[in-house]
Amino acid sequence: MPIDIYWRIPTHGDQPLLRHRTPTRGDFAPTVAGSVTPGGVTPGLRGGAPDGYSYLDHMADIARASELSGFVGGLLPSFPFTDDPWAAAASLARETTTYRFMIAFQPGFLHPVQAARMSASLQRATGGRVVYNIISGGGGPGQLWWGDKVDHDDRYARTSEFLDVLKGVWSGGPFDYEGRFYRVEGARLPEPLARQPFPEIYFSGSSKAAIEAAGRHADYYLSWLEPFGPLAEKFDQVRTHSTALDRSPRFAVRIDVLARETEEEAWDEIRRGWDGIDPSVLRDATGDSIGWQRSQSFVTGKITGYRDLEVEPNVWGGFHLLRGGPAFGLVGSYEQVARRLDELIELGVGAFILAGVPHLEEAYRVGERVLPLLRGHDIRYESPVLEGTRS
Amino acid sequence: MTEFFITLPTRGDGVRGDWHPDFQRPLPPPFTDVRQGVYGPFDHLAQIGRAAEIAGLTGVLAPFDPRGEESTVVAAGLLRQNRHLRVQAEFHPGIATPVYAAKIAVSLQRFSGGRLDWRLAVDLDPDVARSQGYPLEDRYARAGEFLTVAKGVWHEPGYTFEGRFYEVLNGGFSEPPFIGHTFPRVHLSGTSPEALALSARHADVHVFDPGDDLESAIPQLPGVRYGLRLPSPAGRDEEEQAAVIRDYIDRGVSAFFLEVEPYIEETYRFGERVLPLLVKEGAHAH
Repeated sequence: MPIDIYWRIPTHGDQPLLRHRTPTRGDFAPTVAGSVTPGGVTPGLRGGAPDGYSYLDHMADIARASELSGFVGGLLPSFPFTDDPWAAAASLARETTTYRFMIAFQPGFLHPVQAARMSASLQRATGGRVVYNIISGGGGPGQLWWGDKVDHDDRYARTSEFLDVLKGVWSGGPFDYEGRFYRVEGARLPEPLARQPFPEIYFSGSSKAAIEAAGRHADYYLSWLEPFGPLAEKFDQVRTHSTALDRSPRFAVRIDVLARETEEEAWDEIRRGWDGIDPSVLRDATGDSIGWQRSQSFVTGKITGYRDLEVEPNVWGGFHLLRGGPAFGLVGSYEQVARRLDELIELGVGAFILAGVPHLEEAYRVGERVLPLLRGHDIRYESPVLEGTRS
Repeated sequence: MTEFFITLPTRGDGVRGDWHPDFQRPLPPPFTDVRQGVYGPFDHLAQIGRAAEIAGLTGVLAPFDPRGEESTVVAAGLLRQNRHLRVQAEFHPGIATPVYAAKIAVSLQRFSGGRLDWRLAVDLDPDVARSQGYPLEDRYARAGEFLTVAKGVWHEPGYTFEGRFYEVLNGGFSEPPFIGHTFPRVHLSGTSPEALALSARHADVHVFDPGDDLESAIPQLPGVRYGLRLPSPAGRDEEEQAAVIRDYIDRGVSAFFLEVEPYIEETYRFGERVLPLLVKEGAHAH
């Protein structure tokens, strides 16, 4: 099976360096008297005033950079204070050629008939380059910010209904459905929309409810990077649930990458970022996301320095302290990072979503320096992690 | 300010769209035809948007059509591909939560420099409504709450709302760069008392049909601008077309939604030959 490697298009601005948390790219940069601060770009190249460019222009650059450097597409994340992935993907549809847009969305926010119509029209605008990243919410105050009052386990039940309706509408119709959350009668897509390919589904979530729903619906079960042992266990749970349903999703991992020519250079970059953070933020967890609680549980013992968060070789659990998002990522030389990615392929991973800051330059670096070193799943090599976990 | 919008096709512009069996019919041999698989229906939609911008019209309307292309995807593409064109996306309130509809809209406003307009379709054919999962009962109350919540999260940091249909707790676009953008101008239509009451509360522009009784509706819509759907005036020459428009302008209409076909040719004809007659009379296209 081919292995798809995606990049990430940041939908909430970008920082110029991992150790420099303040965004400079896009109007997410702090403003002074309504103008972008010096060094801010897009908009603001011309004396700090709006110049006709928008943050979308920078997202377009990242899409093209990662398309040119070997990635199959880009993940567009969705949070309260990001730009919207549907809006960005539909805007950029005709500005790339082969690039797939992986749209993160929560099923409760759009009606499934509307989601089917938007997706199918977007397939027509892009020539079939839409991919779904279905998330069912981190919970906590965020869900009520969105105006969504459905609680955690019910959200997965709703996600299942949502996908039943979405697929039912797409498969021709007229489609009738009467569920707890959705009710439609005679729903269908017009023929030119219905003949579009149904998007691949990347499904996220670490709770029992999520893993069960993934078993039913996922083409790819997507996880944040975790230490490899627990990650393999999580994949096994999804396999078990899927087998019972006669399905076999593939596995995908979202990974922040800090790769340099040498290991020393990579860790030096982490050290410089670490020196700038406030230690009191180390255990700041919110929401009812099981994924977040899991990632916190892998770091045990007293943290006295950045290397204490390296829970196994090259797997570092402090990325969330340097930028928003998940905790674990890979740090090391180009060669080391490539080897760890190969090990994940050995564990059954069939797709990656990689990311690095700043996303434009790092797309070129990772695409040009790390991806060519990958060997894929045919090569066996010594791995301390895999020993004992696989027969 | 008088505005002119071209109503976009939702199912292709004749053979220019794969809704038509003759779409990109290959040239017969021995002629080389390099188009196959390279260009699609959205390339034709882009051409119509470009025509409207170049011909000096205000914008385009992407209509809601359950049997056609989805309007927000069409709108996003046309906003991106033009510099000045306003793009009006029509949808019904059942497509999304009002928070999410506002979220998509604020991104499109950021990307386009504030050129997105909304057209809300509240009255739907009952069969269409059922197929869309859109309940028609209390549709005007629902549409009112939809707009209240969408405007609420847009303008009020820490917005909280508990209504019959929607609920938000401590929401709102409270952080830069999502604050300070212009809410999409709201276009509504209908002549029932409920429709006019909704427009009086929420519309920037109330859009009439040619057969509607403008004179009795207008007094019920204080502070609202008036628009008109204007189907293609078959057989009329430019002078006659301008006279019809001039008459509506005199009756208070300041936004026209033209239905023309073929789209590109008629858009240019309108921009080059009808608009100048109106401008001469003092009504400006922008």
